[in-house]
Amino acid sequence: MNNPHIIPLNVIQLVSAYALILLSLALARLQHIDHEKQLLWSSIRMLFQLIAVGYLLHLVFAINSPLPVVLMLLAMAGFSLQVAGSRIKKRMPNFYRVVGSSIIIGCGGVTFYFCLLVVGYSPWFDPRYLIPMAGMIFGNAMNGASLAAERLSSEMHERREEIECALCLGATSRQSAGEAIRNAYSAALRPTINTMAATGIVALPGMMTGQILSGTEPIIAVRYQIAILCAITGAVAVTSFLIVQQGYRRFFTDAHQLKRE
Amino acid sequence: MNQQQKSGKNPVVEFIDVRVTKLSPAGATMVILDRISFTALQGKITGIIGASGSGKSTLIRLCNRLDDPSDGTILLNGQNISTIEPLLLRRKVAMVLQKPFMFEGTLLENLQRPFLFRNIAPPSAKSDEITRVLDLVQLSSEMLARDARSLSGGEQQRVNLARALVNHPEVLLLDEPTSALDRPSTARLASTLSNICESEHLAIIVVTHDLYLAEHIVNHLIYLEEGQIVEQGDATSMLAMPQTAVFKNFLAKPESSSL
Repeated sequence: MNNPHIIPLNVIQLVSAYALILLSLALARLQHIDHEKQLLWSSIRMLFQLIAVGYLLHLVFAINSPLPVVLMLLAMAGFSLQVAGSRIKKRMPNFYRVVGSSIIIGCGGVTFYFCLLVVGYSPWFDPRYLIPMAGMIFGNAMNGASLAAERLSSEMHERREEIECALCLGATSRQSAGEAIRNAYSAALRPTINTMAATGIVALPGMMTGQILSGTEPIIAVRYQIAILCAITGAVAVTSFLIVQQGYRRFFTDAHQLKRE
Repeated sequence: MNQQQKSGKNPVVEFIDVRVTKLSPAGATMVILDRISFTALQGKITGIIGASGSGKSTLIRLCNRLDDPSDGTILLNGQNISTIEPLLLRRKVAMVLQKPFMFEGTLLENLQRPFLFRNIAPPSAKSDEITRVLDLVQLSSEMLARDARSLSGGEQQRVNLARALVNHPEVLLLDEPTSALDRPSTARLASTLSNICESEHLAIIVVTHDLYLAEHIVNHLIYLEEGQIVEQGDATSMLAMPQTAVFKNFLAKPESSSL
């Protein structure tokens, strides 16, 4: 499935690109920032991870059956959850259950809505569409999920006095945690809102760039980019909403008591 | 309200063999409160004193179910509080926390909060409800438009008290209300609490390590040590003639001295 519009990079060209990593290593050593090992290790990980994903995608594309595609999507959800969990120092109670179910419902729902109803390709599991789009949606929603979960935990911790004061005045758990929930949701959405506002001016997004490089008309590439940004925003909004709505309840008992930390 | 209730003999809050335990990080059971039994009467102030870590704050948080006991019974007007809907219970048993907290907004908006929590229209600045609570805590209605967070510590304490009273509670709980106040403010608050207790026929339970309140306004005094009631009885008699060595030692410590 070679695209006549694109120059296939050979090993020599890749090695030439890797020279830029060596340059970065040299500059890091010059500045004594002590990050050479990390830089080298990350570049090696990137190399092997991408080669592995490339061959895996090649295989999945060749099989062209729903099972490997669905397994890949589940693996993406699992990795998103694992990365989101590893980023957060202070996790909310039942973190993996709350965030995991939110990612599956939020990202999964938006991905299928977007792929099947908006783009409307056939068959529904076509890996050429489903996998890259799900990857973008899950990757971005994972950032929103981390922010929502982390901010909710910190807000619930910092606002303990406010929450207990409201409970003493007869507030429900939801009313007493209202400000914490709003702040956590706002923090989760802000980067996506900023990205939308800056897209096209500050940076050309990866998907659009990739499509243009592979020969797609810029106008069509732009349309895809607009649509995927809408899907990403929707996925971040739904996933974060589910996290804060499910998450705040985990800090309370059924009797509207704030659990001890 | 009948004559018997006004006479101040009516038991409002009753603790019967209440116990609180919790698990230590190592998995051992720690006893925080043990076999706590006492009665708080209507129109009377019950004071709970004891050193830091004696379980005073844990005890008061059980009265409005901010926490639940591990064992034992707590009654409100004869009804087990575990059978009362928590939101309704907290309207009947109001609580002012140790550190005054002001919600964002004006003093009036702070007084209106409890109504918003109940999803009912909040009273206006000139309503009887607002005037009543302002009078009770001796705050001027001219302050209603002020940013609540710009008020002094003593004023914030009064607003917290007024806000707790808007729900017409039967019991008022106060956790270390004088911890951030100087002596003149403490004296003023003591006088206010005494007036509120009498005019509103409330049962007041106050947790303190400050003997000023115990000496000046408390009727029934309870001394807690390591989660157990060591002595309880009439405040004046207890302070004049402590019966146990531990209570005598507590009274002799400089940090518990009020004079």
